[in-house]
Amino acid sequence: MKPVKIAMMGMTHGHTRKYYQTLIENQKLDWVASCAADERAKEVYELYKTGVPCYLDPEKMLAEHPDIEAIVLASANEKHFEEMKFCAERGIHILSMKIPTFDMAEYDKMIELVDKAGIVCQIELEMHYNPVVKRLQQEIASGKLGKLLSIQATNITLSPVWAFPWQGSPEASYGKRVPLAPGDKRFRGGALCDHPHIFDLIRWLTGSDYDTVFAQVAPNLRKELEVEDMLMAVGKLKDGTAFLFDPSWSRLEERLKVPAPGWEVFPKRMEVNLTITGEKGMIQCDCFGPNVYHNGAPNDRYTVQYTYFDEWVGLIDEFVDCIRNHKQPKINLKWHRQTIACMNACYTSVESGVPAKI
Amino acid sequence: MSEKMNQALAFLREKYGCPAGEIVNGNAGPELVLPDGKKIRLLPWRVERRFVELKKIIDGKTLEDVSTFRFASFSAGGDPVKTAARELDLAAYLADSPIRRIFAVRSGDAACNILARFANGMSASVECGSRLPAGADPMDRHEIIARRGVASDRTVDTQVPQSSIYEWTDKGLTTFTDVDTELFGLPNDQIWIVRAAFAVLMKPDLGPVWNQAAADMEKYAAAVVKSDADNKPVTL
Repeated sequence: MKPVKIAMMGMTHGHTRKYYQTLIENQKLDWVASCAADERAKEVYELYKTGVPCYLDPEKMLAEHPDIEAIVLASANEKHFEEMKFCAERGIHILSMKIPTFDMAEYDKMIELVDKAGIVCQIELEMHYNPVVKRLQQEIASGKLGKLLSIQATNITLSPVWAFPWQGSPEASYGKRVPLAPGDKRFRGGALCDHPHIFDLIRWLTGSDYDTVFAQVAPNLRKELEVEDMLMAVGKLKDGTAFLFDPSWSRLEERLKVPAPGWEVFPKRMEVNLTITGEKGMIQCDCFGPNVYHNGAPNDRYTVQYTYFDEWVGLIDEFVDCIRNHKQPKINLKWHRQTIACMNACYTSVESGVPAKI
Repeated sequence: MSEKMNQALAFLREKYGCPAGEIVNGNAGPELVLPDGKKIRLLPWRVERRFVELKKIIDGKTLEDVSTFRFASFSAGGDPVKTAARELDLAAYLADSPIRRIFAVRSGDAACNILARFANGMSASVECGSRLPAGADPMDRHEIIARRGVASDRTVDTQVPQSSIYEWTDKGLTTFTDVDTELFGLPNDQIWIVRAAFAVLMKPDLGPVWNQAAADMEKYAAAVVKSDADNKPVTL
């Protein structure tokens, strides 16, 4: 199979660096160029010494590499629409970060652009390629647990805002400045916007969709932020399954400008755990564990060193397969719309103080 | 040797573009046979991710000035001397130093306790046993103690390995720990054999290094038996 000529764009998203190894090693890809959003993003990119040239102007990148077939849009949420338009107009396949946009009108325009261009647009929800999640899906699909009754899930992390400041900006993260609630000085765009995974996974595990959700924010752990960093959501799916989600930035961090060892203050910087109750049994699942542990340099703190972390390998494999074999990715714009709608409904509920219908 | 393992190896070879090779059962463990007939002893524990991470923690100076390795490995059946030789190889690999002295005490074929010293002065203890009941999962623990920091594959305040998934049904508790997206579906012990073969194919320089290490493991096993029999340390 001819390798897909691929590029990256933006280079400001927290997941950017996670692609480097896969893009270099996978023989089905030829990573030819990158295009940073600004000088700062280019400087950080160059720290990783990938050997792949980095531009600051997408037009120039394409002029130098007219054979680019696909682009990973590794940028702030507010940039996604213009970047998708740029790609769609040129027939370039898209791998989008996990939040295409929270503006549902803009979201529908994205669907239209992609459909019209006939390109692949895969949304990066890497948990689907996690081997523990694969097993979880298998066990549930086997019927051993019977009908699912309830799911609790965490998607809790440190806050990336110090390294990726756009994640603390209501406009750059949520797309506009919307107060969380009357009298609340904070705005939409924080931890919730960073954590769509559990909102997506539950749909896969149950085969059902959201009915209602009730969400509440807590006092922020980081007083400087103008977006929420602590919140919870409860609700019901259409099939009656009850859920409770924690998508908070509840793990504190060193305020590093570039992610590096010693970033975490709490030993485990990122957790996706699920507790699933069915009519015939129950599962507890840690998608990122077990690992190895140390209390060495740089801060002599007890630290989880992640050990099994190859989600991006499977994600890129699917993307290439879809491009070369004209397939629709599992997580495509149309599928993902309901997940974004539910996340928006969480904000609606926070604002209104009552459950929101999705 | 499992056809599935060679199928998995073929998948990786095709995906990452590396030369041919076949996994076979050798007398002392799995081997990789190259197209020219050369055989390479596979040392799967050296590519097992938890040990890869522990090695990174040492080599990357997250731990500074390693002093002691405290290793333990218990299984249902098997030969504790062979298990000990494997654990000593792992320690030598992580220490990046050959073993110079071994003192061992054995209790028949049930257990074996060892103190070892490396050429670089580091120390190791290895506890092995074979009397877990049939069907029990192996139990092990690897702890590395340094002047700056301790690292382990077991989390603090626990004695037994953790799993990713715990499933309770009317059939009792079942646990799962899946570790490899690309090779999902193979049992973990087979995954590490495939990954070991793949590592050799990607880095052919590993072949002679691993064959030498396998020869050293035989010396470790002999030293364990002799030390116990003579009640004396054996210098290597």
